[in-house]
Amino acid sequence: MSSNLIEIDHVEKVYRRDQIEVPVLNDINLKVPEGEYVALMGPSGSGKTTLLNLIAGIDSPTRGRIVIGGREVGSMSQSELAAWRSSSIGFIFQLYNLLPVLDAFENVELPLLLTKLSKNERRKHVETALSIVGLSDRLDHYPRQLSGGQEQRVAIARAIVSDPKILVADEPTGDLDAKSAEEILDLLKRLNKEFGKTIVMVTHDPRAASRAHRMVHLDKGVLHAEELTESGTMRQL
Amino acid sequence: MKYFHLIWRNVFRKKLRTTLTASSIFLVLVLIVILTSLLQAMQSDPSGGKGANRLVVQHATGLGNFLPLSQRQRIEQIPGVVAVSPETWFGGVYKDDKPENWIGQLSADPEIYFDKIFDDAKIDPQVNAEWKATRNGFVAGQKIADKFHWKKGDHIILKGTYIPINADLVYIGPFQAGDESNIFFHNEYLNQSNWFGANKVTGLYYLKVDSGEDVPRVAAAIDRMFENSDAPTKTLTEKQFQLQFMEMMGNVKLLINGISLIILFAVTLIVANTVAMSARERVTEIAVMRTLGFRRGHILGFILSESVVMSLLGGILGVLLAKFVFIPALVALGNKTSISAWLVNFRVSGETLLMAFVISVGVGILAGFVPAIRSSQRRIVDGLRQVV
Repeated sequence: MSSNLIEIDHVEKVYRRDQIEVPVLNDINLKVPEGEYVALMGPSGSGKTTLLNLIAGIDSPTRGRIVIGGREVGSMSQSELAAWRSSSIGFIFQLYNLLPVLDAFENVELPLLLTKLSKNERRKHVETALSIVGLSDRLDHYPRQLSGGQEQRVAIARAIVSDPKILVADEPTGDLDAKSAEEILDLLKRLNKEFGKTIVMVTHDPRAASRAHRMVHLDKGVLHAEELTESGTMRQL
Repeated sequence: MKYFHLIWRNVFRKKLRTTLTASSIFLVLVLIVILTSLLQAMQSDPSGGKGANRLVVQHATGLGNFLPLSQRQRIEQIPGVVAVSPETWFGGVYKDDKPENWIGQLSADPEIYFDKIFDDAKIDPQVNAEWKATRNGFVAGQKIADKFHWKKGDHIILKGTYIPINADLVYIGPFQAGDESNIFFHNEYLNQSNWFGANKVTGLYYLKVDSGEDVPRVAAAIDRMFENSDAPTKTLTEKQFQLQFMEMMGNVKLLINGISLIILFAVTLIVANTVAMSARERVTEIAVMRTLGFRRGHILGFILSESVVMSLLGGILGVLLAKFVFIPALVALGNKTSISAWLVNFRVSGETLLMAFVISVGVGILAGFVPAIRSSQRRIVDGLRQVV
């Protein structure tokens, strides 16, 4: 069994709106071993995206500890968090969120601008990432010139270009037609299987969730149930 | 530099909006560069500093009153004085009252004028000698001579206004100097006319002293010498003498600076609005960039840089067009009018270029500061929530 890459320990998240406290997550405990593919499921407002944001280090818990790769996320400064995110986390959004003023190559190159890689080294990394997602022939296409599925594949290339251990995906197929959604799910599965990426994916779609090793159900901020999928059982065996 | 393409693309994200905003900076910079250059030209010394040893003596009450010619000898005796030339503003009408026919007309003493007082001006020795020998002769600044296409021997008639004689003068030749908007003719021409002031008065005295160090002492000595006479004097350096014409127009400098500040403030608000709109439209994109690992400092730098780049684009275009198109065009137009003497040094100085650069960058920073701070400080989750 692999060691736990993500450890969530008695985490609570409370939002404050005006003077009212709104609890979003309540005493969440979750461990994700390295190389696991976890689907977070639950109805709207259950706290899935909030939990994903906490894992990605773009939000901080009100109480509790989140340890990722041995580092406690809550103890890092904003600057340390930014550096950690750029090297350790790949974020995939529902609406792709590519920069419209940059072409596919430049969008994928964006996280690498924060590294000390040379221009040539950046080029090699970007071309590799785009070839993994099957878009080597779309380097100079702008987001408006791509289909939804292609945009999401560019977004995935952007998420993996700096070779992070963890990919977090917030409804990655939520804005796609069935065929494109299948392609994206296949791609995520491949990234998990072939490249060993640990994936945490928020989804409403049971078919998408079934591609993961494990499904975690959230409701009203409480972790209700966990179940192994078929591939999860196979993985354990 | 690796971020420059991102900044550049964002500047031109909305081409029309950026063009309009940059155009407003462009117009403001054109106006400021022209006004500042004009102000500098009006305050500049046409002799380029070579007139530092020259003094002008005028009546203490102003240029409207004459000085007695008897004062010349007494001024010449003051130690340090090299030469003194009486000079009278004739103010006649050449051809007609149209501004393009305006000429500065002054009488002077040819025996010493270019030899001892305006020795920094260039005049052909033959022309100078002929001028001295021709009582009704005149020499003209090259610019004026070229403008009216005068040839040696040409006669011009200057219809007197406040000196009620008509001067019939013969063109001898040109001279080259900083200010080439004047013609000079003999004092003797006036002295031998039937003007009431002939052989009695002069408009002012132009004199040269030995060295710049002597200037304050000689000026004080002249004014002290005549302070209790019927014609008290006010002695000015050449530059002070020229500046008093500007003062007659009121506090032009304050007015120009005031106008410049107001329009700068207005354009800063325009640019600030554009930058703020652009930043508001990109709340999610900025949150995504921060998710990818860009720090607050990066976002602050990007937004500020976009603002400065937009401002500089307008500013650079404004300065270039002001320098190479608008100012030369204004000089060409102005040379046809009575203000041509003030346009001698009407050009964009290095100081003005530096000022325009500082203004452009300053407007960019001021306009971008608040949107940049707000964008960089927004929480990532708040930014992402804008669309999700």
